[in-house]
Amino acid sequence: MNQAEIFEKIRTNLSAQITDISMPSPRRIFVSVAPEKLIETLKILKDDFGFYHLSTISGLDKITGFEVLYHLANSFVSLTVRVQIDRAKPEIISICEVIPGAILYEREIQDMFGIKVINIPDSRPLVLPDDWPEGEYPLRKDWNYQPPAETIPGEEQ
Amino acid sequence: MKKIKIPIGPQHPALKEPISLRITVEGEVIKDADVRLGYNHRGIEKLAESRTYVQNIYLMERICGICSHSHTTCFVQGVESLCGLEVPKRGLFIRMLVCELERIHSHYLWLGVAAHEAGFDSLFMYTWRDREVVMDLLEIISGNRVHYAINTIGGVRRDLSEVQKEKILEGIQFLKKRMEYYTNLGTTEPSFVARVSGVGILPKEKAMSLCAVGPTLRASGIASDIRKDDPYAAYDEIPFSVCTATSCDVLGRVVVRIKETMESIKIVEYLVKNLPSGEIKVRAPRKVKEGEAVSRYEAPRGENIHYIKSNGTDKPERVKVRAPTLANYPATIEMLKSGFIADIPLIFAAIDPCICCAERFVEVIDTKNENTQVLTMAEIKKRYSKSQGLKKGSSVWPL
Repeated sequence: MNQAEIFEKIRTNLSAQITDISMPSPRRIFVSVAPEKLIETLKILKDDFGFYHLSTISGLDKITGFEVLYHLANSFVSLTVRVQIDRAKPEIISICEVIPGAILYEREIQDMFGIKVINIPDSRPLVLPDDWPEGEYPLRKDWNYQPPAETIPGEEQ
Repeated sequence: MKKIKIPIGPQHPALKEPISLRITVEGEVIKDADVRLGYNHRGIEKLAESRTYVQNIYLMERICGICSHSHTTCFVQGVESLCGLEVPKRGLFIRMLVCELERIHSHYLWLGVAAHEAGFDSLFMYTWRDREVVMDLLEIISGNRVHYAINTIGGVRRDLSEVQKEKILEGIQFLKKRMEYYTNLGTTEPSFVARVSGVGILPKEKAMSLCAVGPTLRASGIASDIRKDDPYAAYDEIPFSVCTATSCDVLGRVVVRIKETMESIKIVEYLVKNLPSGEIKVRAPRKVKEGEAVSRYEAPRGENIHYIKSNGTDKPERVKVRAPTLANYPATIEMLKSGFIADIPLIFAAIDPCICCAERFVEVIDTKNENTQVLTMAEIKKRYSKSQGLKKGSSVWPL
C-alpha cells in the first residue's frame, strides 16, 4: 500500500465518519472527526489500516474552542485525527479501550488543558505536582498564574 | 502472602534522573508497578510559544542532554516543511552524519549503563572510554560534545573539511573494531547473558498495543524504524537495514542496540565517502506562514515526534514534543510485572531513560593569589600531557 492508496481508501471507506481529509505534505494525512464518532473511527483505522501505533496526543487551544489531535502511524503514513471540543464543555471520551498505550497522553491532556477525559482508567495528574491548585491549566492561552510569593521561615518580610 | 508497596525514587542511585516508582511486591516478585512523573517538568512547550523559531532551536536542543540533535532535527524539519524550504543535499548529509554519530555515542553509553546494572563493571569502563572517541568526533565536527548546535532552519551551520572527514573515518574504524569485540562479548559471555536473558519480557502484542518505540519495540520482533517507514532527510537513499531481535527481553535489547551501532557505523562511512558538494544551507524566512506540521525522527531511544502549528508570525502557535522515553513507560510497567526486585534497575535501564550530562569548561582557582582562570579542554589536555610527561600526539589512553 502506498500513501495515495491509503488516502483514497480512507476517503471512501470512512466517508460516514470523517468530515474532512487532506494531505498537505508527503506521508502526512489529516482527518477531522466528530467527538462521538472518535472511538468507532479509531477502531476501523486500527483493524483495517493497521494504525495500531499512537505516537502522541496533542492539545491545542484555539481560543474559540479546543482541538485534540491523535497522531497515529502505520508503516507507510502518519495520520492525524482531529477532534473539535466546545470550550464551555471541555470533555472527550477515552480511547484506551482501542489503544491502551494512550493512557499517559490522555492524563497529560487533562493536566495541561483541563479537558476532562471520560472513562479514563487512571485519572491522577501526570506531570503536574499533587498540590497544584485546581482550575489552573498551563497550556491554555489565557493562563496567567502568579505563584504565591515565597516566604523563608525566620526571614523578615 | 501479603502484598507490600515499595516506593523507589524520585532520587535513586539506579536511575540518574528523578522519577518515582511504586512497586507492589508479594515476597520478592513484582505484582504491580506505577510510575509517577513530573519531577523534571520544565514547561518547555509553554516557553516555546513565546520564543522565535530560531530561539526555539536552542531551546529544543536543551530538552535532552544526549539526543539533543534529535530534538533540533525534528523541530527544524517541521519548520522547513512549513516554510516549504528545500535543504541542500550536503546540508542533509552533514545533519545525518551528526544523527548517526549521536546514535553511536548514545548506544555506547547505554551499553555501559546496562553492563553496570548487570554487575559487569569492566564492560562499563571499556564502553565509556571508547565513547570518548565518538564524543571527540562530534566536537571536531560541531565544536561541542553535547549540545552540537549544528542545525539551523534551512540546513546546517558548519561545513565539513577534508581533514575532518579523514579524522571521522579514522575514529569510526576504531569504534568498529571495539564494537565487534563487544558484539562477541555481549552475546557470548556466560555470566552476562545469564543475567540479561529472560528478564523484562515484553511480548510482541503488548509492545504493539502499548505503543512502545525504538529498540524496545524492535527487540520484541517488530521491524519499525522511522528512518525506513517515514524517511526524513535523505535516508531513502542510504543503504542500511533495520535491526530486530525476537527474544523480547533485555538480551534482545542489548543485541538490537549493538547491531544498530554497527549499522550506524556503516552509514557514517557511506555519508563521509559520498558527501555531495555544494551549499550547506538555504536562507530561511523569519516569519513562518500559517500551517501545521507533524515531524517524526528516529532518535537513539525511538520515535521522537514534534507537532508544530504556526500562525504567520515569527513565533509558533504551539509546539508539542513527545520524547521516546515517555512512550516506553507503559511498556516498562508491563516488563516489570512478575519480575524480581533485583531486576528493576536492569529493566528500567533497558529502555534507556534519558540522562543529562556535561559541563564544558573547568574553572581553576589559584589558591595562592586567588586568580580565576577558565581553561578550555585543549589546555587541560596540554597540562595533563605535560604533567604526565606524554609526547605531543601520543595517546592519552594507551590501549
